[in-house]
Amino acid sequence: MATNNYFGFTHGGTQYRNFCFSAAAAAATGAAYQAGQAGYAVAAPASAAAAATYGTQRPTGYETAYQAATTPATYAAVGTGTTPAYEYGYGRAAAATTGYDATKSYYQQAATGQSATGYTTAYDQAAAGAKQANYATQYTQRNPAQQQTQATVSAKPAQYSGTYQANATGYQASYAQPAAAQTTIAAQPTTQAKRYDAALYSAATMYVAQQSNQQKAGGWQGYKKGGGGPKNMRAKAPPKPQQLHYCEVCKISCAGPQTYREHLEGQKHKKREAATKMTASPAVTNQNRAGNSLRCQLCDVTCTGNDAYAAHIRGSKHSKVVMLHTKLGKPIPPQEPEVIGGPRKSVSATPKINFVQSGGLGVAPGNGEIKDEEIDDTPEPDIQPVGQDYIEEIKSEDGKVISFNCKLCECRFNDPNAKEMHMKGRRHRLQYKKKVNPDLVVDLKPSLRQRKMQEEKMRRAALREEYWQRRHMAAEDEEERMYWEERRRYEEDYMEWCRRGNMGPFPRGRPPFPGNAPPPFYQGPQITRRIESNDDRHVMSHHSDIYPKEEELQNIQRIVSHTERALKIVSDQMAETVKPKEEVVSPANSSPANTTVVVPAPQATATSLQEDKVDEPIEQKEDGRDNQLFSFQREDRDVNRTLKGVMRVGHLAKGLLLQGDTNVELVVLCSDKPTLTLLRKVVEMLPAALKQVTTEHIYNVTINAAEAGFTVTEEALTVLVQLTSPVMREQEAASGGLDRDVLARGKCLQALAALRHTKWFQARALGLHSCVVIIRILRDLCQRVPTWAPLSPWAMELLVEKVISSTPGGVQLSPGDALRRVMEAVAGGLLLPGGPGLGDPCEKDSPDAAAALTSQQREDLTCSAQYALRLIAYRQIYKVLGMDQLPIQQKVFRRDSRSARKRRRSGGEQPDSESDTGKMVKTEGDSAPAPEPVVPLK
Amino acid sequence: MVMARGGGMRGRGMGRGVGRGIYKPKIFLPRHPFDLTLAEAAFPRVKPTPDETVFTQALLKRNADLSPTPAEQTAILNLVTKIQTVLDNLVVAPGNFDACQLEEVRQVGSFKKGTMVTGHNVADIVVILKTLPTKEAVEALGNKVKEDLKNLMKSEVINKGESLNHTINERGIEIANSYATVRVMVTTVHHNIRKLDPEIHLDPMIMMSHLAAIRHSRWFEENAHHSSIKVLIRLLRDLRTRFDGFEPLTPWMLDLLAHFAIMNNPSRQALPINQAFRRVFQLLAAGLFLPGSAGITDPCEGGSIRIHTAMTLEQQDVCCLTAQTLLRVLSHGGYKHILGLEGNSSIAKEMSIWDGVVVSPLDKAYEKPPEKKEGEEVEDEDMEAEPDESMETAET
Repeated sequence: MATNNYFGFTHGGTQYRNFCFSAAAAAATGAAYQAGQAGYAVAAPASAAAAATYGTQRPTGYETAYQAATTPATYAAVGTGTTPAYEYGYGRAAAATTGYDATKSYYQQAATGQSATGYTTAYDQAAAGAKQANYATQYTQRNPAQQQTQATVSAKPAQYSGTYQANATGYQASYAQPAAAQTTIAAQPTTQAKRYDAALYSAATMYVAQQSNQQKAGGWQGYKKGGGGPKNMRAKAPPKPQQLHYCEVCKISCAGPQTYREHLEGQKHKKREAATKMTASPAVTNQNRAGNSLRCQLCDVTCTGNDAYAAHIRGSKHSKVVMLHTKLGKPIPPQEPEVIGGPRKSVSATPKINFVQSGGLGVAPGNGEIKDEEIDDTPEPDIQPVGQDYIEEIKSEDGKVISFNCKLCECRFNDPNAKEMHMKGRRHRLQYKKKVNPDLVVDLKPSLRQRKMQEEKMRRAALREEYWQRRHMAAEDEEERMYWEERRRYEEDYMEWCRRGNMGPFPRGRPPFPGNAPPPFYQGPQITRRIESNDDRHVMSHHSDIYPKEEELQNIQRIVSHTERALKIVSDQMAETVKPKEEVVSPANSSPANTTVVVPAPQATATSLQEDKVDEPIEQKEDGRDNQLFSFQREDRDVNRTLKGVMRVGHLAKGLLLQGDTNVELVVLCSDKPTLTLLRKVVEMLPAALKQVTTEHIYNVTINAAEAGFTVTEEALTVLVQLTSPVMREQEAASGGLDRDVLARGKCLQALAALRHTKWFQARALGLHSCVVIIRILRDLCQRVPTWAPLSPWAMELLVEKVISSTPGGVQLSPGDALRRVMEAVAGGLLLPGGPGLGDPCEKDSPDAAAALTSQQREDLTCSAQYALRLIAYRQIYKVLGMDQLPIQQKVFRRDSRSARKRRRSGGEQPDSESDTGKMVKTEGDSAPAPEPVVPLK
Repeated sequence: MVMARGGGMRGRGMGRGVGRGIYKPKIFLPRHPFDLTLAEAAFPRVKPTPDETVFTQALLKRNADLSPTPAEQTAILNLVTKIQTVLDNLVVAPGNFDACQLEEVRQVGSFKKGTMVTGHNVADIVVILKTLPTKEAVEALGNKVKEDLKNLMKSEVINKGESLNHTINERGIEIANSYATVRVMVTTVHHNIRKLDPEIHLDPMIMMSHLAAIRHSRWFEENAHHSSIKVLIRLLRDLRTRFDGFEPLTPWMLDLLAHFAIMNNPSRQALPINQAFRRVFQLLAAGLFLPGSAGITDPCEGGSIRIHTAMTLEQQDVCCLTAQTLLRVLSHGGYKHILGLEGNSSIAKEMSIWDGVVVSPLDKAYEKPPEKKEGEEVEDEDMEAEPDESMETAET
C-alpha cells in the first residue's frame, strides 16, 4: 500500500487545505485542481462529497488506510459494501466538473466526459428513487463486513450518504498486503468511518496509478463505486418482482413469481448466495487463484485466462445477462475484463509508479501527470499453444474431423476450441515440458498448501492488526524493545536460514510491526531454490558483519523515539498557545456514534479548512518507529498546529543502518513555511520536552540553521531534525528571497526529497529479494572504497533496485548473484558517459540521479566494477567485500547438497522446475521453524 | 550429433560433464549477465542520446576496407568452382577411383557465409567420406583431385601465379595459388567416427570439427543472413587479429556473438550497427564469457553447451578484461583506435588519456589454482573450463 499512498504523499499538506465545503466551492476547487493535477481529479470531489455528508472532512493521508478514528461510524454501514459488479467509466473531464450539490443531496455528473457516457452513472440512479432498491442490494451482496455493519438507514433517502464507496477489491489487488485492509474491516467496526475515507483515498490513488496507464480520455476502470440509495445493508432479499423477476445474486430472470421463488429455494441459488457471503472479498479468493484471472464484472464470473474469458463473453450465458441488464436498464460494465492479480501484483511486481514531484499544485498545469509505460491491466502475455504435433485428429468415415486426441495427456475433445484451450492449458504444457521440451516455461500454480499458508498469513495479519489497535498506548518502551528484538531475531534467522543452504522462501513472517506494517520483507511466490553458492555465503557473512549490533540499533532507536515524542510535546504546546480555544472540540463531534450527519457542520467546515492531507493514525502512535509518518494531529483535528508530524528518513527509515552509523535523520513537516523563528522556538522548547520524555538520558539540542534544522545529540549519536513544508515547493517560495526569516529553500526541498525517497524505498526496494542486503553491502563498499564514494546513496539505491528488478523472468536472485549482477551492470558501462542514466522516479521529468558524477569518476567506477566482476567470477568475492576468505565447507556443503539433491530427485524434475515446487515448499515448510503465533504482549 | 558426441568425446572435455552429473551432484544454473539492451525498460534513457553518425560512418568505412576486393573475390571463386566441380564429379561418378568413397561435398566457412576478410582468401570445402578416412585414402584423394584439376585446366592459359600448389595435412588437402587458397577438409559420416583409430586414421576430433563446420554454415544460412550481422562479424574478426585478448575467440564464437548482439533484443529487429558494436563490448565486459555466466548456448550442439567454455579460464579472463578496457575507451570516444583507423592496439594494455579522462588497463583476476588441492572440488562448481576442442572448427 505504500506504493500508492506514496503518490498522495508527494503532495503533502497542501493537498486538501483549500477545500471549503460549501457546495460551490468544492466544485470549483475540484476543478481548479484538475487543471494542474489530473491525478486528483477524483480525490477532490470525492472527499468533498464525503465531507459534506459526514460533517467532518477526512481526507486520508499517506498514513495507512486503516487507522483508527472515532468519527461517525454509522453512515459507514452504507458505505462498506464492495461492489463487485459495478464500474463506471469516469472520464477525466467528467471528474473535473463534477460538483457536489449539498442542497440537492445527490451527485451530479455535470458534464459527462467522453468516456462517462457509456455507463450511466451511479448517482443518477441513486437519485432516481425507483431503482434505488435494486441498486442497493446489488452492491451489498458481496459486502465483506456485513456481519458487523450497523444497519443504519439514513434518514433522508435522497441523501447521498456514504454510498460513495470505493471498491476494496481493486484496492487490494494492487497492494502487496491486501489482507491488512480487509481484516481491519472485519476487526474494527468502529473505525468504519475512517476506513471509508481510507478506501476512498486509496481508490483515488489507485485511480492516479491507473490513469497514468491509460490514454487521456480513457475510461477508468479500476475505480468502482457503489452508488445507491440508503438501503439497509442487511436487506439481502431480492427486490420485489416488478414485471421481470430478476435474481441479483445469480443474475438471471425468471418467468414468473413461481419460478422465481423456486429459484430462490433452489440449490444453485443458495450455493451462490452462500459463496458470496462466505467470501470475505473477491480479492481474497482470487488471490489464491493462479496469476491471470480475468473477471467478467457483469456476470461476476472469474475466468482463468484470456481464452476462457473470451469464451465466456461469446457464450450464451453472458449475452443473456447483457440482454437482461439492457432490458432492466441496469448499467452494464465495460466488457474489458477486470484483471485479478495473482503473483503479478505481489511485491515482486509492485505496480510501477513514478514518484513525481508535484511542483506547485494547481499552478503549472499538467505537472502532476504521471508518465508510466507499464500498463497495469494489460492482459497476460498470450500463451502460445504448444505441442500441436501431438494432437491427433480423429476423422469420421467421410473425412470430417470429429474429435481430437492429445497423445501427451491422453485425453480427447470434440471441439476445436477446446483443443486450443487444452494446448494452452497448464496440464498440457506440463506434460509437454515433461515429455517433449524441458525448457518450456510453465506457470506456477500455487499448491494447496501455499494457498493455505497465504490464508493463514492473512488471518494472522488480521489478528495482529486488531491487537495493535486495541492496545496502543500501553507499555511503550517494552513494546518497542520487543519489536526490535523480534526484528533482529528475524533477520538473524533469515541469515541462518540462508546459511543452511536454503535460498528459498523464508517461512516465517517478519515480526509484527507495531502500527502499520510496511510490506514484509520476503514475500511473493518463490520459484527458485538453489543451493547456496560460495558467493552467497560470503555475501551473507559480510552482511552480518556490517549489520549493526542490536545494542546500537536500540540506542539509535531510543534517541530517535525520544526525539519524536519530545517533538510531539513541543507541537502540542505550540498548538495550545496558538489557538487554545479551537483545541477544545466538543466530544460529541469526535464521537457522534449514532448521528448520521448529513449536513456539514459549520465547525467541521472550519476545521477542514486548513486540513493537512496528513491523516492521523487510527492508533495513536507514540513515535514513528514503523517508518511511516508520525503525525502530531489529534482526533480533534486541531487546526493551526504548526508542526504537523515527523517522519524518519534516510538510512534509518530504510533500514540501511550499518555498524558504526551514528547519524540519523528526521524530517518535521510544518503547516507553513518553516522560519528561523519557528526553528529557534522549537530548539528552545525541545530540551524541556526531552526532559519530560526521559530523565535518564541527557540530550543536547543544537540549532543548525544551515541545514534548516537542529541536531539532538547524546554521546556519539546525532539526530538531525530538519524542518520543511510542502508549501516550500510552490513557485512563490522559489522566488521568495522576500522573507529572510524562511529557512533555506534548498535544504527544505532536500528534506522533502528525502521523504519521497523513503517512501519510494519502502514501496520498491523493501520487497525485492536480496535488494536491501545488496544495498547495505554497496553502502559499505561506498564507505570503504574511495572510488565508489562519489556514487550518492540515492543513486546507488536506485541503481541496485533497477538492476535487480530488471532480472529477466522476475527470477529471484540469491545475494551472491544479485551482487554479481549489479557489478555486471556497472561493468557493462551503465554509468559510463553515453549511458542511459538513472531516471529518478521521485522528481519531475525523471532527471538523472547520478548526473553529478564526472567522466573520470564514471570511468573509475566502471573500472573498479569490472575488476570486481572478474574477481567474483574467479571466486575471489572476498576481495570485493574486503573480508577474509571463508573456509570452504566442503564436507558439510556436499552432504547438504546431496541430501537436497535426493529430495529434489524424488520430485523427478529439475531443481527449479515448476511442477514440484509445491512439494518442495512443503518439505521446506515442515523443516522450518514454525511461524510464531502473535501473542499479545500483556 | 548428440550421439556421436557422446561416443567420440568420452574421457575428454565433455566427459567431465557426464562425470559430474553422476559423481558430483551439484546443480549449477548459469545466469545471464546484465544486458542493458534487454533491461532497457528499467533504464529508460534520461539523457540525450549522443550523436553517433560519425561513429557509424567509421564502422561502415572500416567494414568496406575489410571486405575483399572484387579481384580477390573472383580469384577465389574461380578456384572454388573448379575444385567443387572436380569433387562433385567424384561423388557422382567415381569411376576407377576406389581409395575412398565420397558421400557429400559442401562449402563451409567465411567464404560461404560471406564474412570473408580481405587478405585472407581462404575458402573451405568439406568432403564427407563414406569410407573411413585413412591417411592413405586422403593422400589418394589429394592426388586424384590434383590430376583431375590438371585435366580440367588443360585448355586454360596458366598465368604466372596461377599454378596450383597442393599440400596434404592432417585436415585434408590444401590447394593454393598465389591469389587464393582452398582447403578441402576431409571427414566421414557420423557412425564412422567412433571407429576411428588415431594410428591409421585422421584425428577423430578434427573429423568432428569438420562435421560441426557443416552444421555451423547451415545454421548461419538460416539465422544470420542479415547483412548487419555479416558486417559486425567482419569487424569482430578484425578486432580479433589486432587485440591479443580476443585471440582465443573462434570464428564460430564470433558468429554467434554477432548474431546475439544484433538480434537478441526485445524488438527482435536487427539493431543498428553502432549499437550492436558497442553492445558486443558491453556484453563481454559484463562477463558474458566468464565462468558462471550462461553465455551463449551453442545452437548446433546438443546438451546446451556454452560456447565460451572452449576457452581456458585464463583466456576468458583476458578476453573479458580486454573488452572491459575497450568499452571504456569506446565510451570516451576512442573508436578510431579500436577500429584500427588510428593508433595501435596498445590502448588495451596501456594507460591512455581521452579528453582528460584517464583510462587505465585492468589486471587479470584469474589466479592459477594452488596445487589443485582444495580448490578443485569447488572449482568445478561453476568454473569448469576445459577447452572443448570440438568447438574449434577449422573454418575461417
